[in-house]
Amino acid sequence: MSDTTRIETIAGYAAAALLVIGLGVVLALEPTRIDAAADHLVAEQLDGAMTTYAENCAVCHGLSGEGIGATPPLATDALRSVAPEDLQKTISRGLFDTAMPAWAIAEGGPLSDYAVAELAVLIREGDWGDVRDRTVNLGLAPLVPFTTEPDPAVLEVVGALDDGAVLVAGLETYARDCVACHGADGAGTALAPALDDPALRETSADEVVRTISLGVSGTLMAGWEGTLAPADLDALAALIGRWDEVPAGAVPPPANDVPVTEESLALGESLYQANCAQCHGTDGQGTRMIPPLNEQAFLADTPDLAITQIVTQGVPGTPMPAWGDRMTAAEIQAIVGYVRAWEPTAPEVATPSRPAQAGPPWMRDESATVAAAEPTDWRGIALAGGVLLAAAGLLGAGFASFVRHARRPPAGEG
Amino acid sequence: MARTPDTDTTTGEPRSGLGRLRRRLSPPGIPQDDRSRARLVLDTLVLHLHPARIPAPTLRWTYTWGLGGLAALLLLLLVATGVFLQANYTPAAPDAYLDVLDLRSDVWFGDLIRNIHHWSANLLIVVAVLHLLRVFLTGAYRPPREVNWIFGVLMLLLVLAANFTGYLLPWDQLAFWAITVGTSLLTYIPLVGDRLASLLLGGPEVSGATLLKFYSLHISVIPLSLFALMSLHFWRVRKDGGLTLPRRVDEEPEEKPERVTTIPHLVRREAVWALSWLAAIVVFAAFVAAPLEGIADPAVSPNPAKAPWYFMGVQELLLHFHPFVAAVVVPGIVIGGLLLLPFLDVDSASVGVWFRSRRGRSLAAMAAGLSLALTPAWVLADELVLDWAGLLAGWPAVVANGFVPLTVAVVVLAALDRWVAWSLEGTVEERVLFVVSFLFVALVVLTVIGIFFRGPGMELTWPWAIPAAH
Repeated sequence: MSDTTRIETIAGYAAAALLVIGLGVVLALEPTRIDAAADHLVAEQLDGAMTTYAENCAVCHGLSGEGIGATPPLATDALRSVAPEDLQKTISRGLFDTAMPAWAIAEGGPLSDYAVAELAVLIREGDWGDVRDRTVNLGLAPLVPFTTEPDPAVLEVVGALDDGAVLVAGLETYARDCVACHGADGAGTALAPALDDPALRETSADEVVRTISLGVSGTLMAGWEGTLAPADLDALAALIGRWDEVPAGAVPPPANDVPVTEESLALGESLYQANCAQCHGTDGQGTRMIPPLNEQAFLADTPDLAITQIVTQGVPGTPMPAWGDRMTAAEIQAIVGYVRAWEPTAPEVATPSRPAQAGPPWMRDESATVAAAEPTDWRGIALAGGVLLAAAGLLGAGFASFVRHARRPPAGEG
Repeated sequence: MARTPDTDTTTGEPRSGLGRLRRRLSPPGIPQDDRSRARLVLDTLVLHLHPARIPAPTLRWTYTWGLGGLAALLLLLLVATGVFLQANYTPAAPDAYLDVLDLRSDVWFGDLIRNIHHWSANLLIVVAVLHLLRVFLTGAYRPPREVNWIFGVLMLLLVLAANFTGYLLPWDQLAFWAITVGTSLLTYIPLVGDRLASLLLGGPEVSGATLLKFYSLHISVIPLSLFALMSLHFWRVRKDGGLTLPRRVDEEPEEKPERVTTIPHLVRREAVWALSWLAAIVVFAAFVAAPLEGIADPAVSPNPAKAPWYFMGVQELLLHFHPFVAAVVVPGIVIGGLLLLPFLDVDSASVGVWFRSRRGRSLAAMAAGLSLALTPAWVLADELVLDWAGLLAGWPAVVANGFVPLTVAVVVLAALDRWVAWSLEGTVEERVLFVVSFLFVALVVLTVIGIFFRGPGMELTWPWAIPAAH
């Protein structure tokens, strides 16, 4: 046997051994791999489902599945034990006579069967704390006031009106079952129209009762016939017909705090430093002419919803611009969360600093304007240099060897 | 009744039908002398692919690198694993994706089979291109082997088609958008492009209908054509006188090379080579999973949306030329040029010598060096400085942004060719070697830039700056 033959033979046996051992190892690891793959699959499906939930379900079922008003909670042990196909059926086709619409594409909804199946996995195996974080980070945490208590002082005033008792009953029912969608004081939200509306007051009480009882098909408005007693329905109809008599603040908005996560705080900080710090100061201490934010007087008196509104719409007549068309709801929410996080340590009275980039040079606060230098990308330089070097080397070596062999006769004669 | 002997005494044929069948299909034992071994080759089906004796020099590892055989092995491996995959697959949306998930989390060895199929398919493209390159660089496509070269080029196109159709089958985001990007190139073919695209897709966009069409192409039409061409390819190898004889650069052609029997000299090498690759692929596939992203979602497009990696050269061209030029004219010229090569470069004196001659080696190195510098320079210049549409305002886009830059590129290449011809006194075979080497390196550079240096929005960026897909 020649050396080459021997090496080849050894290589052949080695390869065959490797093949057998390799397949053996795969066989031994296969049960573990299948389990791991199944776990991984559930994790991926939960991941997809959380986004679907945040985008479609959180608005009614709450940002962590806690249920809102009349919409039932999903974060319950009972639902965890429901068969996946039953959950899928309910989500796909909706529930008759409730606000739950059909979500499957086949039923006219927006969700694919795969997305519905993922949601069923979420309801059975999901972590609702993670769902809350996902919803917040996507900026989809519902900001509408969901449940609230009627103001007793205003209820007393209403009760003193002509036939006021029925209005009080209507307001109590409204605060319990309707405010989640129709908003504080019946002012309406993105979900449902205002009920404190002159056009509605023209509608007959019978028609209002019929609408509430049967719902409006094709919208989120459910039929309430089975849920509300006839007396409640009449009280609501009376309230809707006479809302102009009810003073503002009867069903006030709750002090809903903007929800935050670590991720949203980080986003809020970077957005604040990029867009707001110029005028309001890097620590919210304010600058000349621009009010501070990091101050007890401001933070204590201004609820999150109010800050959100100021950021979104600006303050007319002041330098505060409207940011609503420049930032997404998630970004504004993140900034509000970042500003709110100052409250525990905020000074009673802030000390405004000079604006960072205004006035003559000697008055500028240089420390605030030094931009972080871009780090030199050595890898890029090395790569580009390497390619150039290789090209030059090939070209040079080729040319040198060409010159050496150029005058030689073709292969064979030399 | 006397017991009849097992074999016919005059012909030596077994009497029983089963015995005759065995004799026809399999060797009667392992013969010890070369002559009987040669007989054995002639008498059996599988070994009949090879001649009984072959010239000893063609066995050199450093000549063929076993690339053609490796390609055939990969094809067989792909069919074998493909049949298993097919047994657990429904060509419909979204069932296809669920089936692939099942392969991962429910089917024993499902992941391994899928990984082997995936990696073999990608390896096959590399091997097929290297095989083509080997044949080109050793001049092994010259007369009388022109026809087999054409078969080879056609098979390369079929391999690309098989890969491309297979890319869609997992029905994940990667598949959906790569095929969407890839098939959009078709629409730039004049007159019939749109119809061709909608015929292939079964509608205006990638959908369940596309999946079914791609599936049937992938499992029947393409593999059958490949195997037909492969048979022709093998047959032509023997009809054209076997492999070309390798020579060192200063070696005289041997008139009567030493001949050895196929068994064991060739067959052992083939077996060792095949076993080694099989083991390498299985071990690799056991530890490196084929990519799988979320289910295909037509509403959410990834950024950047890239074609399969082997088409990234074309996608990179699209960023520099009008789509008609980048997706139709340039690939057309390249494929046409490949088919014409054996008719341009016919001097068979240097067949079997890597890079033709010492001069050829120098020229190829120079071509590679020039291309390695000029191609990225062109990409950078076009990205940062050149603005054809602005320079030639008012001209139709296909001219200003297509044929004009193409002409500039062709003029640069022609100038290099003239330089080789006049200043370096290059012969036709040397000029062909120079130009093809230049273009091949350019294609590799463009593909690498497309895969590794294009980030979101297909902006130029560093590979480590591209955000991870997940």
